Amino acid sequence: MIATTELTLWTDVFSTKTGAVYQCDTERCWYVDFAGKVARFDHRNFLKLRKAVYSIDIEQKLLNATTDPDVEIIFICACDHCYVLSLAQIISLKDLLEGTFVMLELNHIIHDRLYSNSL
Amino acid sequence: MKDLLRIKSLLSSDIEAILNQQVKKEAFSSSAYLAMASWCNRNGYDFSSEYFFKQAEEERQHQLKFYKYILDMGGNAVSPEVTGIKQEYNSFREVFEDALDQEISVTNAIKNIYARCMKEQDFVTMEFLNWFLKEQREEEYKARRALELFEVIGEEGTGRWQIDKHVGQIKYDSEA
Repeated sequence: MIATTELTLWTDVFSTKTGAVYQCDTERCWYVDFAGKVARFDHRNFLKLRKAVYSIDIEQKLLNATTDPDVEIIFICACDHCYVLSLAQIISLKDLLEGTFVMLELNHIIHDRLYSNSL
Repeated sequence: MKDLLRIKSLLSSDIEAILNQQVKKEAFSSSAYLAMASWCNRNGYDFSSEYFFKQAEEERQHQLKFYKYILDMGGNAVSPEVTGIKQEYNSFREVFEDALDQEISVTNAIKNIYARCMKEQDFVTMEFLNWFLKEQREEEYKARRALELFEVIGEEGTGRWQIDKHVGQIKYDSEA
């Protein structure tokens, strides 16, 4: 669970039934609440996480008829966190990240249109 | 909520991705020119070989320009893998035909990036690309001129020897 004192500094970016992403402006980072843990990602690692998740070929995994365990390890270089996820969780995480980046893009557009012009 | 992605990088992820593609394209060009230099040298066309060595070096510089721009703007520059370089040519003329094809493809790629920047109103990158657009004038001119030599001199007799000698003298100094 997230402490309430911390919550005041965090802004909801996007959430789904399975997880949520928060942004912390003071620390300039994101917190990903997923698969039973809350992990902190700075800018570089957050983009690396996105790249790692997006590059998983979900369709190929669904069609894979071998008896390999249905588990994917998402390991990010120079990052403390590692995810060991099932296929269903990967789909959920991808959903969460896609939504998050749409929201961040939207936030960028709002900043661009509203604030930049008034400076 | 702060716009953290923008604070960290001037480039959108789309622009960063196509600039990285261009890094790869320039690296490919540089390697292709190196292969052309090797073929020309092996077949006795020393002036052309020298010309292609210079072209390879220029393409490498273009690659670095893109690479450093991505980094300077806060993006992630990716060192490219270059594979599938053609090493053998059927004729002296084919080398120059391929060189022109390559330059046309580079011009098109830069035009595509420019169009994408225009759509995103990324004027900073557009301004950066202006240098490359001007550079492509020279690159295409030189490649086209080299092929023209095959027409005006002809390959018969000592023609190829003459063409080789003249390739080394191709210059583009238009102030326009």
